Amino acid sequence: MDNKGAATEAQHYVWDGAIPLQIHLHESEVTTLPPPPPALILAPRLGYLPLLAPQIKPFFSSSLPPGVDTVWFEYKGLPLKWYIPTGTLFDLLCAEPERPWNLTVHFRGYPVNLLIPCEGEESVKWSFINALKEAAYIINGNCKNIMNMSQSDQTELWRSVLHGQLEPYLRVSSKLKLDIVGDDFSLKLNTSRQSNSDTEATGTTKSGKIPVRLYLRTIGEDIDELEDVSTVDSWENISYINCPVEVHGEGKSFTLNDAIKALLPELFAEETTVDLDSRAPESEGGEGSDGGSSRSSQKNGESSCARTGLFSDGAEIKLVRIQGIEPRLDIPFGWVVKNLMNPEQYLHICIYIKVLQPFTMC
Amino acid sequence: MASETRKVVVHLRATGDAPILKQAKFKMAGTDKFAKVIDFLRRQLHRETLFVYVNSAFSPNPDELVSELCNNFGIDGKLVVNYACSMAWG
Repeated sequence: MDNKGAATEAQHYVWDGAIPLQIHLHESEVTTLPPPPPALILAPRLGYLPLLAPQIKPFFSSSLPPGVDTVWFEYKGLPLKWYIPTGTLFDLLCAEPERPWNLTVHFRGYPVNLLIPCEGEESVKWSFINALKEAAYIINGNCKNIMNMSQSDQTELWRSVLHGQLEPYLRVSSKLKLDIVGDDFSLKLNTSRQSNSDTEATGTTKSGKIPVRLYLRTIGEDIDELEDVSTVDSWENISYINCPVEVHGEGKSFTLNDAIKALLPELFAEETTVDLDSRAPESEGGEGSDGGSSRSSQKNGESSCARTGLFSDGAEIKLVRIQGIEPRLDIPFGWVVKNLMNPEQYLHICIYIKVLQPFTMC
Repeated sequence: MASETRKVVVHLRATGDAPILKQAKFKMAGTDKFAKVIDFLRRQLHRETLFVYVNSAFSPNPDELVSELCNNFGIDGKLVVNYACSMAWG
């Protein structure tokens, strides 16, 4: 039942996950009357937008002005970074999920100053393989297993990602020996059958480093409904953190909450846990009275805010979203990683932070 | 801000037939993107096609910040960047 390499139910859900897109051709590229109707297609969560180009092109090819195609997408004026998985873009940019998701496609005028160049599938594949190598480096301290892959395995791996096929993906990826940490939740369930030597043999406690890409959005404190969250008009307004999470704490479960705490220590300066559902009501007049705590958060800021540095006092987590779901924070992190990570072995986490003062770039 | 002033030391190492630069070690702002390293090498070597790696292992996304690459993959606090004119590590 617990054979290595077999897919879990959650993995099937993630791999089958897709976002309905309604794609409009940008008006500056419409040369026909009437303009072409929008294209409706399903975009796999784990896929990348440029890979949809061959499907989208036929809808618009007769309307395009002469020129060479360089496909890019935008959402409400924001050019979309093509190397971020489609599902992550959706989770990050649509606070309140919009279905279908209305995107604009461009075939001309690539914004070279805003996006890194993309030459279709080859660029996406290059980016994917290098992200996989980066993840392998974090997990194993080298990328030997990826570099030593046979040509046919490489082809099969990429094809499985391209077509969203979980079984072939697991067949190849299991050879890469990238099993991260023990999924302690499943381990617990199986302790009766699993002896200590088994645990060792499957290498469940390796370096304990998990590759994570974290995307942060800040929203004002006066916003309660996600549909009121304003749109992102620049990537400058999103903080991106690429930082492995080191899993430790033998005996007790390392939870998603522990992982977020490790990534964003400045948000946890005073509390020990964040419980989204039972936030203790804080007295309004309480702030400022506690000189000690503000000093400690300043100190914290110097050490760890080198990466973010955008939290005002009292910032708190509004929402944690991974693969379109808002998981409970007390879930074992090993389970989250195993089931919700993307095929390049990175876990992409979107977090919305509520700040007291509206965040302004200065 | 303190984070703005943090500098990252980058070591440039030629691989294969790539020419060796006179200045192989330099400092850059931690908030710079890896794209800046690639651009610098392109200009120094007068080549459009260049393969740039970290620790002889992988090519980071050009959007990554050098401070984070250094935190995650730095060796003795320095970011080791290898460059080659032809593909070196897959």
